[in-house]
Amino acid sequence: MSLKERDEFDHNAWLKQKDLTPIETVFLTTLVYLDRRFRIVDYLELLEDAYYKVNLQMPKSHTEQYNLDNKFWYWYPLYSLGFFSLLAYIVAAVTGALLGFYYSPSTAGDPTAAYASMEAIMRDLQFGFMLRSIHRWAAQIMLAAVFLHMLRVYFTGSYKEPRELNWLLGIILISLSMVFGYTGYLLPWNQLAFWAGQIGVEMALATPIVGEWAAQLLFGGFTLGEATIVRMYILHVFILPFVVTALIALHIGIVWVQGIAEPH
Amino acid sequence: MSDNTHTTETEPDDSEHESDLRSDGGKETGIVAPDDETPTWSERKERKVGLSRLTYEYFERARREDQDLRTESDYVERDVLGFPTWPHEIIRNSAISLFFVGMLILIAAALPPHFGAPANPSQTPEIILPDWYLYWSFGLLHLDPINPGLAVLDGDKLMSDELYGVLANVVVVGAIAVVPFLNKGSARRPVEEPFWASIGVGGAVFSLTISALAIQNLIPIPLDLLVNMVFVLPLVSGVIAYAILKTMREGYMYGLNRRYYMLRPPK
Repeated sequence: MSLKERDEFDHNAWLKQKDLTPIETVFLTTLVYLDRRFRIVDYLELLEDAYYKVNLQMPKSHTEQYNLDNKFWYWYPLYSLGFFSLLAYIVAAVTGALLGFYYSPSTAGDPTAAYASMEAIMRDLQFGFMLRSIHRWAAQIMLAAVFLHMLRVYFTGSYKEPRELNWLLGIILISLSMVFGYTGYLLPWNQLAFWAGQIGVEMALATPIVGEWAAQLLFGGFTLGEATIVRMYILHVFILPFVVTALIALHIGIVWVQGIAEPH
Repeated sequence: MSDNTHTTETEPDDSEHESDLRSDGGKETGIVAPDDETPTWSERKERKVGLSRLTYEYFERARREDQDLRTESDYVERDVLGFPTWPHEIIRNSAISLFFVGMLILIAAALPPHFGAPANPSQTPEIILPDWYLYWSFGLLHLDPINPGLAVLDGDKLMSDELYGVLANVVVVGAIAVVPFLNKGSARRPVEEPFWASIGVGGAVFSLTISALAIQNLIPIPLDLLVNMVFVLPLVSGVIAYAILKTMREGYMYGLNRRYYMLRPPK
């Protein structure tokens, strides 16, 4: 036999020659079993690295180092506005998912199925009125918080050097939030919704070259109807949630990586 | 060597790499490259040209720069976190979050949303409005009183009022987007840069006045006066903000600021 019974790769023999408690034996056996299959050892370094990065000790913050806390404390509450908009977004997402179970995006019938389903939610559904109220207020408060967040970032100069791209990302996010609000505003298909949609179509048609194409794509034609409400619904509950959630994650991830821009 | 592009003669300590089959981490692991043409990772690293080489070189340089900055810095790192994440920070954050969500639900309970009549395409309502956060955009669509006409065209307008409004939106968003590329430097507080702070104040006031233009039929002011106020009020508030900040600059904050920059000069 050319193969030796106990070479350096014979992990079982290695296990036997050690004096192990049952717990250690089970742990090591499992580890060896998994490692033979998934090569965990290749990822250990990554995990170790991640562990030390997560547990990095924070250096003294700028305001602490120069003892500026007594000068700038009044800015600090404004630094929570971004987090508040995230919270409101989460509340809106949860209530929106529940509302989506009962809403039907259709203009069939009189009044339209969309309007009737909204009425049913508000009148017949247990907790439905409250659900819609929370969803709507969460959206309003998210937008308000986002506007104020942008003002805070402007007046504390937090958009400067390493953070320009996150400022641009923020502009994209605030625009998408407003599109989010607009598409949601159209869904009840009441008078306000219909005529807000009418303005949207007119705006699209006023744009040269791409205008008619955009109207077709977003509103499903030049007059409002079934196609419009279905498109608004898909934008509101499918496309925008994925896109906006991903961009929020990126936005916050960049803040995490770059750190908070402190007042100087 | 298996890879022809690799120039081994530039590396003096490369003689032991000359064997025909070599694995990535050396001979010990027993991992064999797929074929003779595949360069090993060390060979890829050692290449004199190509993007991978450049990337590697850059990372080396960046790491060295970091190291140098760290050794030069007099930045005091401290031993212990001021606040442990658990439980202090987590409990404080949860308290703030729950309070915020609670307030949201309270408002939702106290102020139920409006739900109007069903859509009726044949009857235009007197007041057409989007949600409040789109008033600024809607106001920009109502700028038709200042859409210029050309004498050559017998006073006809160069572009339609709608296109003018859409372009105004593009201009406003674009202006916000270019701010970080125009205003550079390490100043952070409004007093340090009165000009940019007053631009900000003017912009914030403009977002309010342009929103007032969106709800012009609810405001008992003649339209031409309103349009004038839309542009004059932001200008006035910008000038006032500039004057105030300039005055503050001479005071205590400015001295503090100057001492700080003597300590840490901006790049």
